[in-house]
Amino acid sequence: MRYDVVIIGGGLAGITAGLQLQKSGKRTVVISAGLSLHETPRAEYVAAGGTILAGDTVTGGSIENGRLEYVKTHNLGNTLMYADNFILCTGKFFSKGLVSTMDRVFEPVFGCDVQYEHDRTQWVRPEFSDEQPFMSFGVITDADGRVSVGGSVVSNLYAAGEILAGKVEIVESALKVCRNLI
Amino acid sequence: MQNKEFDVIIIGGGITGVGTARDCAMRGLKTVLVERFDLTNGATGRNHGLLHSGARYAVNDAESAEECIRENRIIRRIASNCVEESDGLFITLPEDDLAYQAAFIEKCQAAGIDAKAIDPKEALRLEPSVNPAIIGAVRVPDASVDPFRLASANALDATMHGAKIITYKEVTELILEGGRVVGVRLQDTRTGEKSEIRASIVVNAAGIWGQKIAAMAGAQIRMLPAKGSLLIFGHRVNNMVINRCRKPANADILVPGDVVCVIGTTSDKVPFEECDNMRVTPQEVALLLEEGAKLAPALATTRILRAYAGVRPLVASDDDPTGRSTSRGIVLLDHETRDGVPGFISITGGKLTSYRLMAEMATDLVCKKLGSDAKCRTAVEPLAGSEPEKNHAHSDQLAFKAAEGRQGTLVSKMDFSQKSEVLCECEHVTRAEIAYAVKYLGVTNMMDLRRRTRVGMGTCQGGFCMRKVAVALAEELGKPELAEEFVKQYLAERWKGMAPVCWGDSMREAEYMQKMYKK
Repeated sequence: MRYDVVIIGGGLAGITAGLQLQKSGKRTVVISAGLSLHETPRAEYVAAGGTILAGDTVTGGSIENGRLEYVKTHNLGNTLMYADNFILCTGKFFSKGLVSTMDRVFEPVFGCDVQYEHDRTQWVRPEFSDEQPFMSFGVITDADGRVSVGGSVVSNLYAAGEILAGKVEIVESALKVCRNLI
Repeated sequence: MQNKEFDVIIIGGGITGVGTARDCAMRGLKTVLVERFDLTNGATGRNHGLLHSGARYAVNDAESAEECIRENRIIRRIASNCVEESDGLFITLPEDDLAYQAAFIEKCQAAGIDAKAIDPKEALRLEPSVNPAIIGAVRVPDASVDPFRLASANALDATMHGAKIITYKEVTELILEGGRVVGVRLQDTRTGEKSEIRASIVVNAAGIWGQKIAAMAGAQIRMLPAKGSLLIFGHRVNNMVINRCRKPANADILVPGDVVCVIGTTSDKVPFEECDNMRVTPQEVALLLEEGAKLAPALATTRILRAYAGVRPLVASDDDPTGRSTSRGIVLLDHETRDGVPGFISITGGKLTSYRLMAEMATDLVCKKLGSDAKCRTAVEPLAGSEPEKNHAHSDQLAFKAAEGRQGTLVSKMDFSQKSEVLCECEHVTRAEIAYAVKYLGVTNMMDLRRRTRVGMGTCQGGFCMRKVAVALAEELGKPELAEEFVKQYLAERWKGMAPVCWGDSMREAEYMQKMYKK
């Protein structure tokens, strides 16, 4: 299977990016792990000819010479999904876009470089009402919004939405990536 | 002459205090208990929930072991509704000395504890979660006990026998007249309002804080605060209590309880000032996990619900004021003979399993001082909720059964016809049970309610239900305006428990809570 853009994650960022790209003539697919939220943009996306792969998750992909060639999903098994570009919008911890263990934080699909505090005692502040450092952990991107793995930028893998490090405007971060792809 | 409304004032709403209140009330004494926060706020609400068989103490402290097994049998009988007869294993791992096991069994049997060596393969069949590397196993009559429920049942039973239970009032001063303690001065810890109560005898059952109470009468009790940290897991990994068969050490007891299990403890001396505000350190968490996984390997990958710590009320023995020699035994002090302060006694030391005996000893002394020869009946009369006859209407409704499990026969006091909607879905707590807790169990806020009904103690830890529960509680209290404050209070407490263990699924929950409840 080949698309112009494969969007990994069907939350607000993913569906916003899908809709924007589909409207501008790109052939896209949104791979969405589950919850049917954001019904309105979803319906618009489908009406614009977009494909939603619902209830599926990306299990990995092949990065060669700094490019992501394809991804694999849980349900499609060995069927490879090729695309010119990919956007990672899998969110933070709750949606498993990021995973934390006792001593580290990582991005589980590609092993993207993640910005986080290395001392675990600094992840959480003692009061609920405090600003919580872990809420700003996320993947690092270059000026164009592309992630890196092991310090090297992956030239066609972008990130948008809450998976990004720092304070994030979800919709704006998705639209920004789209501007680079249209 | 003072007009004394009460025969006896008991200071402290832990298990020892409520147990003593029940015993005093059952012997016909006019009894009042005062507690500065809620019942079970101290060590009673911060332990394993283990009803010791005594096996743990058998090798080093025969007296405690004998005490435990006697009381273990009594508590199973009088508090059947608070005890889960889970039984326990003492396991030997390859790195442990198997020779210890033989000595252990011998000492257990000498203390009257039915300890039997079983084939490690049989142990694995009985308890599949146990470390499969075990080279030895001994089965003992340990059990799980819900300390919140046990304390609540004692308090309610005391009330039904005429005692008065007053929470959120702190003793600021003992009233002394002619060198004799004749009452207490109180300050409401929420409103600051002052009051006083007088009685013939004052019993200090304030646990670790008993040192301060005794000092108010000029008596010295040297407490040695030993902090014990524990972790609760979001899944009941084991069905039997699992102990390490070796000299007692850190994190070597895993206790199942309701739908969760608890690993503990650490043991570190802490300064007295820290007793009021203890936090679990990352080092303690790491140690508990590492050692816990040796008992049941599944713990390494199980979600941790919360970390908490309590302070053991260890007492330095009177003949060794340096504090090097401490005892886990019961300490009953008659300050009249010891310090020349009549009208004042202290009951401290001991443990959850021996609370009833502590209460009996304290009440015996109170009765002696008051010239009463009333006999103790707490070893034979079941607690409220644990009566053998189940004379209430039965229902197959899951929520009804859950309430019956918690409140026993008292479920008959709940209005299931009107208020059957389930508010806390993890623990199946209905509005009927919340109304009951407000009416009969002295609940005034979310934390009180949590301790009495297990609201928010299940796997979601209130994440999905706290707002519903807060609104219902505020309405039942007739103060709907308190709901928002209840939510805030609950969040603060929940965060304190999860901050030390915030990674993995706990971090997922933390993110969810931040998004759902902030601002």
